[in-house]
Amino acid sequence: MKKFDLSKIISLDTFLSLIFGAVVFVFFAFLYPFHLNYQEQYQLFLYTSDYFLDFFGKPGGIANYLGTFVTQFYFYSKIGALIIAFILTFLQRVIYSASQKLEAKSFWIPITFVPSLLYWNLFCDENYLAGGMIAMLLLAASINGYIRINSTKWRIVSALFLIPVLYWGIGGAFLFFTLFTIANELIKNEIDKKQVLVFSAAITVLSLILPLIAKAIFLQYPMGKFWVGVNYFRYPVNVPLSVGIVALLIFFIPLLLYFFSKKISIPKTHYILFVQLVIIGVGGFSFIRNSADFSKEEVMAYDFHTRMRKWDRIIALADKSNPTSPLSVTCLNLALAKQDLLSNQMFSYYQNGTAGLIPDFIRDFTIPMMAGEVYYHLGLVNTAQRFAFEAMEALPDYQKSARTIKRLAETNIINGDYEVAKKYLNILKKTLYYRSWAKHTLEQIKDESLISEHIEWGWLRKVRIDKDFLFSEAEKENMLGLLFTHNPENQMAFDYLMAICLLNKDLQHFVNFYPLSKSLDYKVIPKTYQEALIYIWELTNNDPTKKISYPVSDEATKRLHNYKRIYSTTRDAKSLNKDFGDTYWYYLHFNK
Amino acid sequence: MYRLLISLLILTLTVVSCKQKITPDEVKHEKPSIFPDYTDVTVPATIAPLNFKMKDEFSKMDVVIEGSANKTIHLQGKKQIEISTKKWTDILEENRGKKIQITVSAKQKNKWIRYAPFSIFVSNDPIDHGLVYRLIAPGYEVYSKMGIYQRKLSNYKQDAIIENTLLSGSCVNCHSFRLTDPDDMSLHIRGKKGGTIIASGDDMKLLNTKTPKTISNFVYPFWHPSGNFITYSVNKTKQVFHESKAKRVEVIDAASDIIVYDVNNNETLFNAKLMQDSTFETFPSFSPNGRTLYFCAAEAKEMPAKYNEVRYNLCSITFDPESATFGDKIDTLFHASAIDKSVTFPRPSPDGKYIMFTLIDYGNFSIWHKEADLYLIDVKTGEVKVMDAANSDDTESYHSWSSNSRWFVFSSRRLNGLYTRPFIAHIDENGTVGKPFLLPQKNTDYYEQLLFSYNIPEFINKKVDLDLRTVEHLANTSGTNVTQRE
Repeated sequence: MKKFDLSKIISLDTFLSLIFGAVVFVFFAFLYPFHLNYQEQYQLFLYTSDYFLDFFGKPGGIANYLGTFVTQFYFYSKIGALIIAFILTFLQRVIYSASQKLEAKSFWIPITFVPSLLYWNLFCDENYLAGGMIAMLLLAASINGYIRINSTKWRIVSALFLIPVLYWGIGGAFLFFTLFTIANELIKNEIDKKQVLVFSAAITVLSLILPLIAKAIFLQYPMGKFWVGVNYFRYPVNVPLSVGIVALLIFFIPLLLYFFSKKISIPKTHYILFVQLVIIGVGGFSFIRNSADFSKEEVMAYDFHTRMRKWDRIIALADKSNPTSPLSVTCLNLALAKQDLLSNQMFSYYQNGTAGLIPDFIRDFTIPMMAGEVYYHLGLVNTAQRFAFEAMEALPDYQKSARTIKRLAETNIINGDYEVAKKYLNILKKTLYYRSWAKHTLEQIKDESLISEHIEWGWLRKVRIDKDFLFSEAEKENMLGLLFTHNPENQMAFDYLMAICLLNKDLQHFVNFYPLSKSLDYKVIPKTYQEALIYIWELTNNDPTKKISYPVSDEATKRLHNYKRIYSTTRDAKSLNKDFGDTYWYYLHFNK
Repeated sequence: MYRLLISLLILTLTVVSCKQKITPDEVKHEKPSIFPDYTDVTVPATIAPLNFKMKDEFSKMDVVIEGSANKTIHLQGKKQIEISTKKWTDILEENRGKKIQITVSAKQKNKWIRYAPFSIFVSNDPIDHGLVYRLIAPGYEVYSKMGIYQRKLSNYKQDAIIENTLLSGSCVNCHSFRLTDPDDMSLHIRGKKGGTIIASGDDMKLLNTKTPKTISNFVYPFWHPSGNFITYSVNKTKQVFHESKAKRVEVIDAASDIIVYDVNNNETLFNAKLMQDSTFETFPSFSPNGRTLYFCAAEAKEMPAKYNEVRYNLCSITFDPESATFGDKIDTLFHASAIDKSVTFPRPSPDGKYIMFTLIDYGNFSIWHKEADLYLIDVKTGEVKVMDAANSDDTESYHSWSSNSRWFVFSSRRLNGLYTRPFIAHIDENGTVGKPFLLPQKNTDYYEQLLFSYNIPEFINKKVDLDLRTVEHLANTSGTNVTQRE
């Protein structure tokens, strides 16, 4: 029987690259997908010439443009994962190919994975943008292309041509190309030292002068912007040194491997290959594991499902693992309310006060987006609109947000401001993933009855308030009270009103507001309200012959008595948690 | 053979380049519904071509523009009508003081429809070189990229004067020029590296404008015609947010005063009458002779609780530029509160005949008031009239005069109720207003795609040349503290 020889089908280097690509894909597609969805929502890639020209007009703009082009596909995280896997693998292949061209021995291949690994690590942070990764790829490709030009004359000409082009395309990272060309000519030794010196001086001057010229033409940015160019990081004030290390490695690795291959003689190459593979494999694994922030991934998962209105998935997520971050809890409470479960089950999950119900506004692009979702579904449409707008304006890289533009279109439709809604819809028509929704909605708004009867917009129109009042973050109870009294069918407003009182441990307001529930005509009072009502009754009633005026179940009363018995003796949170962790009493006594 | 080929080529090119004459399938008696609405507007002869398109769906447009000298421009377009600058300029120049007629035919549902012709009146009155405005998203408290831009009126070229990208995290606002002359300019940079930039001739300084006696930094500016003074309001401003669908934002002052800044001596001049605790004083402006200071004043109320009870009147106080002193009494020129209305942005015409202002139901931040309309008061007679020709059902707010008082530019939300756009209108010496026109753009979809509002449109008589290197340098210094005149 013939022995199976894999190397006849696929070379080792290709095999390793494929494995790497597959691992990257699996990571982003299955372990880290919501980071990709998160990235996608904070940009708005438009298929218009103006959008392109806005990027193209600045150094580094092409990488930024391609970065936003790529990021739009993160709408579907698996496609996004595939793209990232492809780019990172391609980056490795280009570096490997450049090393090969410099006659590096192929057993050094594991080292060529290092830049891709490092960028993978950066990508675990949601604020690193795809444009940076594209810039690194273009830098590596330029180096690779450059060394493939055999004619010295044409190589020098191409360097002089490529340096300004590359500066425009990838911003300050082009300096590593300049460095490489000098190092390459020194290694090649095809021109004499004096010529190398002249060439080096010429391209150094050219490289140093380009950002100064750019600044003189494009005055509206500080000088630092012209040295960096690409938006590697969402916050433009930071100069990302970590990206500089990746760029340095892209420049350095082919030269290093050339040096190793020329100067060091290694007899047992397969051992070296094995050691490298182990180091890169084990090191890479622990590196990525340390970089990945799965708590953020969890928040992003909750947020994404909220955005997509997948309430059952949110509850399923919480059933799997009780969320603890305020924003996850915010999404969970919203999902419970949307499924009419908040009043029965909210204390079955971890609650962290009102911050986990409706977060306060801050000048940020994440929290207002999530808080705005709550206001939207409650029917406080203007506030939902404002929070969405503010979130978009808070984006530090001055991008617009597809999710926000969609929400602005929706809120304007609900308010009947069709002309403004049309503006947003026409913009969304120029995107890839929102186009069909925008087109469909543009048709819908031609017929008023379709909006009024729309399952969501029609409802929100019905529950939104006619009588004006000023939004006050400090008076959420009053706003919710007004909302509910305006439309007593708005159970969610009532549930949130009750939830605020309960989470604030404000039993007085709970008792005051509870009678409003009359319009909801409960057949059975929801579990949480029963718990609060009995508790208050037993706290305030001194006459044992009197009975509580609300129809609470005997089981709830019995449970409270059991709870009280244990609580009065042990006051031990742990022992009470087992049987009473899902009760309001437990929250009341033990939540700090 | 060679000649024949050349002739054939020329003939082919001629046939291809000639616009086919349209034989309409239907002739309508109404004027076409076009965007922007340029029907029967009055324009200066130096305005950029007024490109337009049909509001309703169409597959092709055919337009004939005719002047009185029988010169015509025949144009066709599938997306819009794009007029060549040269031909447009020629026809406007030839028809100064007259009107040009435009006949529009549109292919709609496979039928050519010819509409009734409309006119554009070409005024003899010249207009200034350009406009300066701020472009900012019509948001709330947070801002993203924004900037102050200039736009030449005879073409579509827009240049940034300063963008907030220059100084990260900053906001730029309240640009102001002395009588449309950009040689004297004031603008604020808010943020860590903020201050008030005063550029006067070749001199530029960055001021820290908070003084112990004032409640805030300088806010709303207006230059004295001499260039020696700038009057500013100082305001404790806050935003509150409506929940009803009819309104969005309310910008309110919890306190406000007016001061005058002496540019040459770097001193702030105070007057007790303009800094009363019982009164909110804001939006100051100087008369063209520099001897009267106009402003808005309202009885102070508890804010924000009584935000909708604050009503500003149009007031004035005399000012002596020689001694830099104020008069003894405040005159009320228009008692708006008596009719339950409120005045904002009083802007005197450079010829001194009129003051244009915005009238709203309450408060002073008219851009968020749908009822905001433009009004004119005759300075001599005190007669107040609504500027119907300029107003719409939506907001008309900030406005400024051209240097010859024959044009004014104003911001309006009439296109969609949210995004503010600049409209220019003619006004004759009797105060008669022509139909305003939207600032023309090369691409008629420009405004639809733009996510910015036009803020504080101001005329300029020449290009603004702000030295950004000096601005950057000054922003990295601690700036100059303004002093108080005791």
